[in-house]
Amino acid sequence: MLDIRIAEIGTFVIYLTDVALLLLLVGLKTIHRSRMRDHDRRRQEYLGVLSRHVSYQDCTDPITPRMAGDSAFLDALIDVREVLSGYELANLEAIVAEHGVSAGLVRRLASPFPLGRRLRAAVALAEIGDKTTAPAMIHHLSDREPDVRVECARGLARLKWTAAIDDIVARFAIEEAPVRARFADSLVGFGSKATWPLLAYARVNHRAEDAGPALALRTIGRIRDLAAADSIHQILEEGPSLEVTIASVEALGVIASPYSVEKVEPLLHDDRWQVRAKSASALGQISEPSSVPWLSAALRDVNFWVRRNAASALAQVPTGIEALYDALEDADPYAADAAAEALADAGELVAARRRVSAGSSGDEPLLAHMESEA
Amino acid sequence: MPKILVADDSETIRMLLRTALGRAGYEVETANDGPTAHSMAKDGGFDLIILDQLMPGLLGLDVIEQLRDDGVEAPVLMLTGVDDGTTAAESLDRGAVDYIRKPFDMNELLARIKSRL
Amino acid sequence: MVLDVMAWVGYATIFYFVAMQMYLLGLTVVSGFVLRRNHHLRRFNRGTAMLSSTNAPPVSIVIPAYNEEAGIVDAIRSMSIVKYPRFEIIVTNDGSSDGTLDALIEAFRLEKVRIPYRPDLDSEPIRAIYRGRSGVDITVIDKANGGRADALNAGINAARYPYVFCTDADVVLAPDCLVHAMRRIVDDRERTVGVGGNVRPLNGSRIEMGHLISASVPTGLVPRMQVLEYVRTFLASRPAWSQLNALPLVSGAFGIWRRSTVVDVGGFARGHMGEDLDLTMRVHRFLRDRGDEYRIVYEPSAVIWTEVPNTLRVLRRQRIRWHRGLMTAISDFKGMTFNPRYGRLGMVTWGGFFLFEYLAPIIEFIGWVVVPTAWLLGALSTQALVSMLVLAFGAGLANSLTALLLDESYGYFNSPVDTSRLVAMALLENFGPRQMTVMWRIRALLGGSATRSWGNMERRGVANLAKPTGTAGTG
Repeated sequence: MLDIRIAEIGTFVIYLTDVALLLLLVGLKTIHRSRMRDHDRRRQEYLGVLSRHVSYQDCTDPITPRMAGDSAFLDALIDVREVLSGYELANLEAIVAEHGVSAGLVRRLASPFPLGRRLRAAVALAEIGDKTTAPAMIHHLSDREPDVRVECARGLARLKWTAAIDDIVARFAIEEAPVRARFADSLVGFGSKATWPLLAYARVNHRAEDAGPALALRTIGRIRDLAAADSIHQILEEGPSLEVTIASVEALGVIASPYSVEKVEPLLHDDRWQVRAKSASALGQISEPSSVPWLSAALRDVNFWVRRNAASALAQVPTGIEALYDALEDADPYAADAAAEALADAGELVAARRRVSAGSSGDEPLLAHMESEA
Repeated sequence: MPKILVADDSETIRMLLRTALGRAGYEVETANDGPTAHSMAKDGGFDLIILDQLMPGLLGLDVIEQLRDDGVEAPVLMLTGVDDGTTAAESLDRGAVDYIRKPFDMNELLARIKSRL
Repeated sequence: MVLDVMAWVGYATIFYFVAMQMYLLGLTVVSGFVLRRNHHLRRFNRGTAMLSSTNAPPVSIVIPAYNEEAGIVDAIRSMSIVKYPRFEIIVTNDGSSDGTLDALIEAFRLEKVRIPYRPDLDSEPIRAIYRGRSGVDITVIDKANGGRADALNAGINAARYPYVFCTDADVVLAPDCLVHAMRRIVDDRERTVGVGGNVRPLNGSRIEMGHLISASVPTGLVPRMQVLEYVRTFLASRPAWSQLNALPLVSGAFGIWRRSTVVDVGGFARGHMGEDLDLTMRVHRFLRDRGDEYRIVYEPSAVIWTEVPNTLRVLRRQRIRWHRGLMTAISDFKGMTFNPRYGRLGMVTWGGFFLFEYLAPIIEFIGWVVVPTAWLLGALSTQALVSMLVLAFGAGLANSLTALLLDESYGYFNSPVDTSRLVAMALLENFGPRQMTVMWRIRALLGGSATRSWGNMERRGVANLAKPTGTAGTG
């Protein structure tokens, strides 16, 4: 008998839950629907207001505090910011900042609950870009919520608040991978001011662990500060681990300093194919004609990916195309194939066909190669 | 008053450009996608066409090509959102007169438009 | 004595069913927490989600195609405008008997090329490779027919980039799906080897020019049932499994993998009925046995729409095929079931699959036989029977409703009609559809003439779904 009682109570509870869920579902959907429509309508309206502020110097459309606190307004603002750069945007921010919006957001961020409002406040602070909120954002770089930390770093980067860089880099060592990756994104926003702290971090830590320093090096690459190339050369000379070497070479490729050519070329003979492949790509990005003989040699490398990367690198380097045509005749069929691919990707195949259909009677080695059997 | 066609699937861009170009003294019409842009440009008698690259239905590059095939001579300005050089270069190949990357400076865009008209 | 045994068996099967619902409920709760966090950030984070080209790893989109003449060109065109800085599209023509290849060559102005191709993975012999560059880098591999897994392997062989996105020809991508999925990889580049996306049925929705305009719940019962199923698994189970780093299945329709890892495990298993499940589990086992730290995650904001079977006939074939795939996988990976060495994957997820996916049809079937018999013979009191049945039904309903609630935040289905259709389905499910799926799975267990080749579904093609009247796949 006892188990039947339990079953009955259990059943009753379940059904109560079901009814509650059903009501919640129906209720939420109805509310959500009308809220979404309302939100979209307001967003369009605000988009119009913002467009007029951007287009007319003397625009007198009011931006009320209520508007500025509306999430639809923030949506519109974010949309506009994604699309425009330039200083009309700064005027916009000044107008918004006037209305005490930021102070309200900082207060919301400071309160311990609820999570949703705090996150939205953090995102909004990052988007609005009011300088007076910088100290609050620095404080919340060590917030207990990872997403809040990320948004604060992002906001500081938008403000180019260089005083925060050291704090952010210092957290590289203690953050989990996803947060660290987004901190790295923010550091790119700071530009070359972030280069030296990142380099320092990479140099000190690359013997201890891989992922952080590798990320730091890739980030330095993204910043494209030519002055960093030399320090990266020094790191390479210390013979770091595979991950750090690859990240360094990748960064050098993105920075594309001509002085890196002589540092990267020897790596085309490294034992590890990943290093050779990455070096070939990097030389392509640096695009110095002096690399052509080295890259041609790399076309005959034993590794599939090295050959391919060398071929596409040659297509990027001035006078490399000739070297690729030469390789078509090569005894090594793998080198010829790689060269053919790079030439086709560079548009040579289409050009060759056009010449043929225009009646040219010249030699077309690329066409001959493509039409021959493997 | 010169007539400009703005084709972009982003409502934000259409609104912004419509307002800014209107203020600058141009008559503006908009299209949301490739095929509409193509048909409007064919009929419309526009003095300048601003095209986004990534539009549903037909890519911006393909729209230019079809317009040139149809004999539409109006200058085309490409808006490239994707951060790579190939689309930009290819758009010039296909017959666009200029391109501008997103995010863009409104003043710069207006200056470029003025120089083409 | 016999009566007592029957009663206990009856109780046990009902208890099993309740236990299953409890397990799902547990997953749903965890998923709820995961999705809530995701939801807060999704509202504003369009800006941060966009990866710049210096940050975003290039991706090779690999698409197997078999007799897709009707829709392949439009499908590829719509894929080519996915918002991502650098990617290439690789279509494998798996020995189509129709004009798939010609349609592709003509539409994209492809050239036959002789380029480096290394068969890292096994596949049927390649006949030719074509390349084109109109707007997007597209490579077409023409090969002898070998099935979906085989075609994927060939495509992966030809892929130039370090990450491959395996999908199907008849899907509609949300424009930002790649950005969201690859964000997970960039967040943890060293460890993340696989990302699964959110698959939603597109039947009944409005598609125009290869893009989803608005989603609605289909009127037909067959696709509608699947909408509910997909919502349950993609919103109420997968986020939880991903959080536990125990995701057993990265969908074939949306699977991003690190290419080198796929090559290391030997690629997709040719001829396997559940090649996506098999690959995922094989990657798990390989990396765990090696002691590597890794992640295979599920990203709910990476959305893809696919056509699901509209008729019972096609659905039946699909489910039988899936179950046979599951059977093979359960057998291949039996060493992992409830094996603590495989952590939460072995103990929770794979154990759960074994208990609640594999054994479920058998136990339910036994229940159908034993429980009414026991009751008729008086071994089970009416009151007990009714309470327990009703309890089990209620728990199932609670799970469905919670899943629908979780889906709510995505805002896809918002009209009252849509909501009522789904709720009605949740109520109806246990009076017919469920029993049907159980019978199909029993059929699968018994073996025999299950569908051999993949892709025999009546494919209308994405283009045909975009009829001017708008609604797709009604009925």
